[in-house]
Amino acid sequence: MIIEKNRTDVTERIKNLREKVLSTKPSVCTERARFYTQVYSENEDQPVIIKRALSLEKTLQEMTIFIDEGELIIGNQSSQHRAAPIFPEYAVDWLPEEMDDLDKRPGDAFYITESHKKELIEIAQWWKGKVLWDRGRALMSQELRDLQDSAIIKATGNLTSGDAHIAVDFYKILSVGLNGYLDEIDRYHRKVKRYNQEGVKKDQFYTALSISIKAYQNFIQRYSKLARSLAEEEQNPQRAQEFLLMAENCTVIAQKPPRDFYQALQLVYFVQLVLQIESNGHSVSLGRLDQYLFPFYQQDIITGKISEEFASEILENTWIKLLSVNKIRPWSHTRFSAGGPLYQNVTIGGQTTDGKDAVNALSFLILHSVGKMKLTQPNLSVRFHKNINPEFMLECTRVIEKGFGMPSFNNDEIVIPGLLELGVEKEDAYSYSAIGCIEIAVPGKWGYRCTGMSFLNLMRVFLASLHNGLDKQSGKVFNKGIGSFSDFNSYEDLFKAWQHQIKYYTQKTVEIDTAVDTALEEQVPDILCSAFVENCIPRGKTIKEGGSKYDFISGLQVGIANLGNSLAAIKKLVFEDHRISKEQLLEALETDFDGEDGEKIRQLLLNFAPKYGNDDDYVDLLLKEAYMEYINEIDNYHTTRHNRGPIGCKYYAGTSSISANVPSGAVVPATPDGRKAFTPVAEGSSPSSGTDLLGPTAVFKSVSKLPTGKIMGGVLLNQKLSPKTIEKDADKLKLVSIIHTFFEELKGWHVQYNIVSRETLLAAKKDPEKYRDLVVRIAGYSAFFTTLSPDTQDDIIARTEHSLNF
Amino acid sequence: MIFNVQRYSTHDGEGIRTLIFYKGCPLNCHWCSNPESQSFDYSLMYDRKLCKNFGDCLKVNGTAITQTEHNGIQIQRESLSNIENFREVCISKAMTLSGEKKSVDELLIEIEKDRPFYRENGGVTLSGGEPLSQGDELVALLKRLKMKKIGVNMETSLHVKWNRVARCIGYVDAFLVDLKHLDSRKFRTYTNGDVKLVMDNLVRLTNSEANVVIRIPVIPDFNHTEKEISNMIDFILTLKKVKEVHLLPYHTFGVEKYKMLDMDYKMSNRKQVEDRELAPYIQYAKSKGIEIKIGG
Repeated sequence: MIIEKNRTDVTERIKNLREKVLSTKPSVCTERARFYTQVYSENEDQPVIIKRALSLEKTLQEMTIFIDEGELIIGNQSSQHRAAPIFPEYAVDWLPEEMDDLDKRPGDAFYITESHKKELIEIAQWWKGKVLWDRGRALMSQELRDLQDSAIIKATGNLTSGDAHIAVDFYKILSVGLNGYLDEIDRYHRKVKRYNQEGVKKDQFYTALSISIKAYQNFIQRYSKLARSLAEEEQNPQRAQEFLLMAENCTVIAQKPPRDFYQALQLVYFVQLVLQIESNGHSVSLGRLDQYLFPFYQQDIITGKISEEFASEILENTWIKLLSVNKIRPWSHTRFSAGGPLYQNVTIGGQTTDGKDAVNALSFLILHSVGKMKLTQPNLSVRFHKNINPEFMLECTRVIEKGFGMPSFNNDEIVIPGLLELGVEKEDAYSYSAIGCIEIAVPGKWGYRCTGMSFLNLMRVFLASLHNGLDKQSGKVFNKGIGSFSDFNSYEDLFKAWQHQIKYYTQKTVEIDTAVDTALEEQVPDILCSAFVENCIPRGKTIKEGGSKYDFISGLQVGIANLGNSLAAIKKLVFEDHRISKEQLLEALETDFDGEDGEKIRQLLLNFAPKYGNDDDYVDLLLKEAYMEYINEIDNYHTTRHNRGPIGCKYYAGTSSISANVPSGAVVPATPDGRKAFTPVAEGSSPSSGTDLLGPTAVFKSVSKLPTGKIMGGVLLNQKLSPKTIEKDADKLKLVSIIHTFFEELKGWHVQYNIVSRETLLAAKKDPEKYRDLVVRIAGYSAFFTTLSPDTQDDIIARTEHSLNF
Repeated sequence: MIFNVQRYSTHDGEGIRTLIFYKGCPLNCHWCSNPESQSFDYSLMYDRKLCKNFGDCLKVNGTAITQTEHNGIQIQRESLSNIENFREVCISKAMTLSGEKKSVDELLIEIEKDRPFYRENGGVTLSGGEPLSQGDELVALLKRLKMKKIGVNMETSLHVKWNRVARCIGYVDAFLVDLKHLDSRKFRTYTNGDVKLVMDNLVRLTNSEANVVIRIPVIPDFNHTEKEISNMIDFILTLKKVKEVHLLPYHTFGVEKYKMLDMDYKMSNRKQVEDRELAPYIQYAKSKGIEIKIGG
């Protein structure tokens, strides 16, 4: 299906562009911050939505633009490659505080000049007390702020960086063009009655929309002009032709629907770009690229307008451009998403709305172009289903073998039924895509944050259940318990205490989310993003006000495996085998397993109790039962959009917690699974490091015992395989075979593979210069290994490697 | 008695397989990578790296187990008795007891766990040690597996009396037979076995209805020469119905286990055999029309 050389060959142009972006040190760009501050300060009388439209307008009009040598896909987020813009309206306090240490961060360092520092200090001064963070905190009760400060519930990222986690309606953008949006906005705007409050708000919304779309068109036109002027100066006639073609492409797509594949891809990239200038959230995703671009691709191939080689080249250029987009986060948030990627997801494969295999020639081309680039962006997801093209699956394993953690797999066989059960229409359910790393939503129809609201630290909750509600780490009793562990006479007593605590903390996560969402709605409404999501324009509402067709969100529960293992260890060793007394356990936890006695207890806990990940019902079912307490409780709550338009407005569970397992573990004392204090907890739904001893099939079995159909925020499973494991085609087919079983029969939700050797990782940790392009998958996405903090590096190294038998 | 049930085995027969390792072998090949498989009795293994000096093993048998000067213990293996008393004694799992008596039902529970992964061509592979040295419970398991329609392969040295082989034909979908050498003296020196027994059995097996795959371990100083391997290939050519030949290059993954068993590793200081060293053998076999590959 694909020309062999297109699997491997990379043009000089792409090699140079790739090298350039990789070797560019991340920096900070102050332009956006400057323009937003100016407009906000000059328009204090205006409603926030107009301020934001005008700010975007000024930024898109005045920000530095450039076309770099050799580029075929153009558009920059800031004044330089990999320079992160600043979003002062979200949070600023951290900037002056962390400014001098940005270039010293153990992972994700940023370079910043002294003059930029000075400018940002002034900017921060103006915003003091006016930003999203302040508002969000103000909307929380003291109890909620204490809970956040205690780190049992974390929602910092949402307040410092906004939410995103969304893919917009690319089908519509490509079919009606930007003028089409202006027409539609105008149609609705003219109908607005201004004699009631709703009308006044709609009027503002449509005015803001219109300003923003026009600003966006103007931005694309600036590139057209720039390309044209570069063409005039260009000596090389071939490059001059390229400039002219890009200029022409931009002129068309600034207004009309794209006419060919090249224009369509350029427009998709511009959408992606401008959404990340407007808003600070990450996981802005491209949805099912191989589906909505396929008609353009097919038509151009048939008419001979484009070659497969050139199509691949502009895709590769797009991936490099996605990596050039950058984001700077406060350190508190950075630790939760190590490696600094933006999780711009591209989803390929899956099924058409009538249930047929959707893999096409473009799916192969995207897969291979991503495989050739070996970059952390985009985050490539493949939608698996039982009738997926077998040749395509084999090709996926060939890309997996390259060792940069892609593609990851989502499973139609569980996700689609899960969506249908939530009330999603059939056609929409079949159109879902991955968002960010592994979570899912229906592009263009879903609100923000299909996952990634507040993070709940399950092990802190669990420890509070042992101490009558006392959280020893903060010294506070947030929720008085029903007794202490020393009074418990049976496992059932322990479980009741867990029920009592988890119910409370679950409700508190919703209270925090509600404060955060209210603040986001009031302080930082996204206008362009709302334009591109179904029903916002007809309803005259932003997404946060209830503009989207569907609205389902999830928080993230961190420490899944530790919870199961702790329950099993206590049940077995304390209440059944009586090998450890209650007092001994409490003492050992209190002292972090100090001394020989403590170490003995720890070894017993580690070695003599069943561990999640080994297909042992004993622990797997205890975990399920305990997690169901959360899942049932969260089902009682609604989002802030309830009764305001969207279908759903509900929560579901989620475990796609990225690298949050490291900082989450850093605030958890010793736990009864034998985990030492302040070390990482388990990531996502994967087993705890080094505890899955029976290989990948047993892990699959354990994971599939979780109620995967109810964890629609993602059941993250990261599997590490040594490169030898899939060296030969026969081995690759065996890998495909177990994936089929996991997904078709066991109804697994997600899996991704980290193919890397321990030796390589150790060497990379020691000598980062030599391994600059070494990519690893940490829970659901890719990052450059050398940019990770030493803690995260150690955690990755420690994870069990499944090697084949000797 | 078994010493391991290993799931997701991909190099011991087709598809995804669960390997049952039986304990006890009539041979003791110098290159054996599972030394704990040789004894028909329990084996006590001690991994010094994991030892935390808790001293619980000393309480079980203070005569046979003594503390050494530099952290760790010494086992006087000749003074050991009732070694099953050591099971689960060591909390840090530095000392483990290899060997478990499992009933057919217990084994079937383990085997069933990965059944969804067996799909069309996977299943169970019985290995060892020497599975054919096992008693009637082996046949009982084979019958049950047949009833359950779970595919069975068996890895064997064929170094047993023919009737032990014959009782299994009909229940085993493929025999993966080790062919180590043709020369009786060399075979005896390196395996302590009788090559004639193996060759006679192999001829009889290939004359039966059984499917046979021949596996040649390629071992330095033993058979790793063109002459020795081509002799074996020529012998294979005289056999009926050999499906394919696998070359298994020598590796050193088992060396650590000899230390843990206080056993002498007679092949120390040899490097593992790289795949590329096998190229001439593959070429020769292919020139003779034999289907051959590296690994299982």
